[in-house]
Amino acid sequence: MRRWMLAAIIGPALVMGTLGAHAQGAWRSYVVKELGFAFAAPGKVETSVGTFRGAIAGPRQTMIFKSSANNIEYRVTVMTFKQAQAEGATILGERTFMFQENKNTLMDTWARVEPGKDAVYGRKMVVELPEGKGRTMGAFYFTKGRLIALEATILPANGDYESPDPARFIDSVAFNVARAGAGATELQAPKLE
Amino acid sequence: MRLTALAILAGIVLAAMTGPAAAQWRPYISHPLGFAFAAPGPMKIEKGTYEAPVAGRHDTLVYAFMDDNIEYKVIVIDVRDKASESATILGEAQYQFQNGKKQLMDAFGRVDRQYGRKLTVDLPNNRGRSTGAFYFVNGRIVTLQATVLPANGDYETPEMGRFIDSITFYTVRAADEAIELPPPG
Repeated sequence: MRRWMLAAIIGPALVMGTLGAHAQGAWRSYVVKELGFAFAAPGKVETSVGTFRGAIAGPRQTMIFKSSANNIEYRVTVMTFKQAQAEGATILGERTFMFQENKNTLMDTWARVEPGKDAVYGRKMVVELPEGKGRTMGAFYFTKGRLIALEATILPANGDYESPDPARFIDSVAFNVARAGAGATELQAPKLE
Repeated sequence: MRLTALAILAGIVLAAMTGPAAAQWRPYISHPLGFAFAAPGPMKIEKGTYEAPVAGRHDTLVYAFMDDNIEYKVIVIDVRDKASESATILGEAQYQFQNGKKQLMDAFGRVDRQYGRKLTVDLPNNRGRSTGAFYFVNGRIVTLQATVLPANGDYETPEMGRFIDSITFYTVRAADEAIELPPPG
């Protein structure tokens, strides 16, 4: 009788646990050593190359690391500005301005990663996308000649716009790659043309 | 009747003229530093230091003005040796400006091709209200700060905005009669 009850409890729990893990995607830590950052995200992270154009930044190829889970899109975009590092403050300002332009800004605040003299200052923002296309949380940093943007977009199909998962993703970033953890999966940066 | 009206009008004009005289606003320019701005009252040039965890310790050059119990300062922090970390160093300076104070505004500050930020804070212990604008130009933090002191008390005065928004980083946009600032030395 006791065995039967245990099986009745454990069986559904196992099934639900397995389904839940698939639906939500397990969170994993990732490190991109050649670009000097680490982050955590759910689902399978894929890399690709994209493009960006800013009035100041100019046309740029971007390195993209993206995944999706539970109708939330997670994306890290990296651009390099090795020859314009002294313009980093303005390039970062332009990127954050473009992120919120023509959108409803719900939050715009400081972002700081790493303590003390190793701190990297940036901005965190939340915007509502036009035409009910969802809500995006972004964090933007410029360090060591690279503009690094983390964006998590809750799609209408998810609909839980107060989900803590975008913040979990955004706040997982580390620029001291030693903080990535021993189990972090190393990602290779996509090759630019 | 007409005489009475004239007398009242003349009285009003005279009363307005005998009030506290606001100093004349003058345009200034620094070609070596690459900016121009406008401010009222006589200018003082001060030298100091700025220190922050990421930026470290750096020399500052301050162009200071005072008029009608409002302090106007243009502070130039030379961080050319750390210009590659400009975004973080500028963010740190903005953070320090509002740290421990009541923040009333934090917005984009875009001038010419420079993106910066504008912030307004209430100073602790009722010491007044400050608006600051922060930019990173040619290896230097350029910050304009206007502080309305309690003796003035008009914390909604447009003078702060006039000062902050007078900055330009295109010298062609400077007034023809702009006074050249002494070079940093």
